[in-house]
Amino acid sequence: MGGAKDSKKQKIEKVNYPKLLRELSKLNDELRFFTVINENVSEGVPFSVKDNLCVKGFESRAGSKILKGYLPPFSATSVERMMNKGFGFLGKTAMDEFGFGSFGVNTDVVAKNPFDDKCVAGGSSSGAAVAASVMKNHVAIAESTGGSISNPASFCGVVGFTPTYGLVSRYGLIDYANSLDKIGIMARSSSMVRETFEIIKGRDGYDSTCVDKKVSALKKKKIVVIDQLMNGVSEEIKSTFQVLLARLENQGYAINHVSFDFIDKAIPAYYIISMSEASTNLAKYDGYKYGMQYGDFTKKYNEFFTNARESFGTEAKRRIVLGTFVRGASVKDKYYTKALKVRTALTNKLAGLMKDSFILSPTMPITAPKIEEARKLSPLQTYAMDALTIPPNLSGFPHVSFPYAYIKGMPVGAQLVTSHFNDYALLDFVSEWEKSFEYQFKHNL
Amino acid sequence: MQDSEFDRLLAVCRLKLGDSEKAQIKKDIDSILSYFGTIESVDTSKLEPSYHPIEVEERLREDKVEPFENPDALLKGTKTYRFYVVGPEI
Amino acid sequence: MKIGLEVHVALPTKSKLFCACSTTSEEPNSSICPICLGFPGSKPMLNKAALEYSLDVASALKCVSKNRTSFVRKVYFYPDLPKSYQITQLHDAIGVDGHLDLEKKRVRIRRIQLEEDPAKIIREDNYTLVDFNRSGLPLLEIVTEPDIASEDELREFLNELRSILYYLGVDIEKELKVDLNISVSDARVEVKNVTGIRNLVDAARYEIKRQEELVSKKQKIVAETRSYNEKSLKTDASREKESDEEYGFIYEPDLTFYKIEEKEREEPIIASRIAEAISKKYGCSKKTLLELVQFDSKALELLQHSQGKWPIQSIINVIEVLKRYESIKLSNEKFTELLEISKSGHQITDQIIKNVTSGSHVKVTVSDVSSEEIDEEIGKMIAANPKIMLEHEKNPKALNFIVGAVAKKLNASPRLVSERLGLVLKKGFKN
Repeated sequence: MGGAKDSKKQKIEKVNYPKLLRELSKLNDELRFFTVINENVSEGVPFSVKDNLCVKGFESRAGSKILKGYLPPFSATSVERMMNKGFGFLGKTAMDEFGFGSFGVNTDVVAKNPFDDKCVAGGSSSGAAVAASVMKNHVAIAESTGGSISNPASFCGVVGFTPTYGLVSRYGLIDYANSLDKIGIMARSSSMVRETFEIIKGRDGYDSTCVDKKVSALKKKKIVVIDQLMNGVSEEIKSTFQVLLARLENQGYAINHVSFDFIDKAIPAYYIISMSEASTNLAKYDGYKYGMQYGDFTKKYNEFFTNARESFGTEAKRRIVLGTFVRGASVKDKYYTKALKVRTALTNKLAGLMKDSFILSPTMPITAPKIEEARKLSPLQTYAMDALTIPPNLSGFPHVSFPYAYIKGMPVGAQLVTSHFNDYALLDFVSEWEKSFEYQFKHNL
Repeated sequence: MQDSEFDRLLAVCRLKLGDSEKAQIKKDIDSILSYFGTIESVDTSKLEPSYHPIEVEERLREDKVEPFENPDALLKGTKTYRFYVVGPEI
Repeated sequence: MKIGLEVHVALPTKSKLFCACSTTSEEPNSSICPICLGFPGSKPMLNKAALEYSLDVASALKCVSKNRTSFVRKVYFYPDLPKSYQITQLHDAIGVDGHLDLEKKRVRIRRIQLEEDPAKIIREDNYTLVDFNRSGLPLLEIVTEPDIASEDELREFLNELRSILYYLGVDIEKELKVDLNISVSDARVEVKNVTGIRNLVDAARYEIKRQEELVSKKQKIVAETRSYNEKSLKTDASREKESDEEYGFIYEPDLTFYKIEEKEREEPIIASRIAEAISKKYGCSKKTLLELVQFDSKALELLQHSQGKWPIQSIINVIEVLKRYESIKLSNEKFTELLEISKSGHQITDQIIKNVTSGSHVKVTVSDVSSEEIDEEIGKMIAANPKIMLEHEKNPKALNFIVGAVAKKLNASPRLVSERLGLVLKKGFKN
């Protein structure tokens, strides 16, 4: 299953859409990973789109109630490029509201893990990971701000690729944090990811931050493991990760363990920057434009806006409050500006480590938790779950999560990181890996 | 954070919280902020802020008019009156 | 007394600041798109022409610019602001620390920044009506130090600024929007959103008087924001705006840094300075000259072209008449003809202007140059300018140069030269 070899064949293969749609609809009742299914799709290899990417004429609400009914008058650049290449748009996938979450539970459509429906699918691209996991021939367009691709890819046992910041146009992406948001891809194999990446990357006249850089494939023969990143990792994952390292050593990689004393500061720096930007992005949802219509126009504007904004979920409200606080003029230097400088420090140091090495770590410190357990975690406990995925995300380094083990039937992913614009090296690596490791899946639509 | 400051902050955000939601958010805010404060220990004295993680070359748009191709969809579902969008009272 | 201004100038671009919607429109909400409506998923892309106009203004106002400029988000909630934040500038504004010289005073310019206009909002009893055509129009905000000390200086400053902008291609007569800061004593009162020069002077006059009366009654002036009512001609205390704390400025992460290249920009045309120089040279009134040319590049061109060749008073008279009859747009040659007529003692009338511009005026000879002399001079010019002879069939205007040069040399009437040139050319082709 999976594997790089048969992707070409998959593309020519005719998709039996009536059958797929029937089975998908049934499975979706169970696992709740699509928010909208496009019943009219009839040809092309199916692809799904995370709910925070606009698809013209299809409700796009980024997992939020406040955007209920928003039918974008345009499609995201990446979506349009897929459609132009003949891919079949299958529907919108579930996610944490505006991407605010690590388990997919901060929304009304909570996707369940295809390996165990009591467990979370991960977050925030929860539905995308499930979609990639349950369908043989499918690519999921997803998005990562602080780990929203790696995390659910690890929990759902698929390949999750987050390109270098700026390589894929963000036009049509409902913003979480603009300097961190990256559109990426999830699928069962690196070859499907690669094919999709070829299509969606590249300059776009509608995104000022989309760059036109040559993407390289510089293979590194060394792998760096950062000691501090292993601190919070569960014992069972630590031991499977040791096995992975040993295997890679056998394949000729030199493994170096290094210490990076302030890598843990990536988490607070990330949350300060992302919440600052998010709190400005969410200001526009005030109840009388696109999407939700709050009716009572006789209310004075401040009251009107405040009433409309009650529709945000708790985590969204928390991030608006915190984000608004940390960018306030009197504390901005202490939090916002300092966090941007810490980003510089982390980026410089990580770039140094990656001159001739990849960085490898487990993707998540745990396997997918039960939905009820995840709901009970405090915000700080939840934020700590992102310890391994945040550093490359904060610094815009390309990274990929690939399945490398199964613990009690639940998949476990490892995350490989490389320098800016060396994205192909990651896909090459996973492609090699897939020759010696067989991915497992529970469903095969 | 004092109650008064928290309430001022909510007003700035145009947010109103129910009692339990308010207690929930307020409970964690101090610990989160002190956690955020830990970045102070990183030496950044010689560093510039990274507004983006990579260097983004400037892109400018030529001054050309191109009307949006789907204008009818723009105000669909929005309350209008004689071409104007109806907004709340000021 | 101290007056400082925040002048908002609409830049004359074809498309909006961050999207390709037209800056002109008729029906409300007819020039809109996802970007200027702030739709989720839309992103801004900076208009090159807006940036260039801004840099021209900054240079003309002698501002200092960094080597790059960037934008910030200023967050506030109001029904006219589609994203609930305005894209504006803070640390890396277009320019800072400039100045504009009045006749007797230097007004310092604190900063110049480029930003997007909010939508137009109409207040109704129980709701508002919003027109997003205005949303995203490019605005340049010019902030002065509180260096203006009287109503006269205020008027002079506004006219001078308007003139400089006019000569940069930015006509602000209709679109001028200003916030006034006025302090007669210590407290600083801000009068927001005054539109048009006349309203501005009226608002300032009222506010100065109001504050002076409070001072004379030994009452305290409250530092506050007021708004000007065009009907009652008064200012009233208005809603408090957000503080900087609440705006919570952050860098606009959907845009990047834009280079400001150090290049020699053309010296700006400062009409008042030209008027002053001419008035000194020929001993006429600067005020009269300035009235003619402050907002009229054609009048300035005619004045500069003819000065020294004709009595200054004749030039002034003819320009005045041309402006009165809205006929200023004529060639230097036609203008010279009018000067000839004026010099010969005729009153320039609407009819004469019409005759001259349509070419039906039979003119008086300027000097008694013979046709042969003219033909000979034409011959020399043709020989010296073969390129013009190649071009003139495609572009008959190319001949104007020869006509002008010959007429000038022989002090002959351009019309006569033009006639002779026609004949010479015909003959030339026959040969």
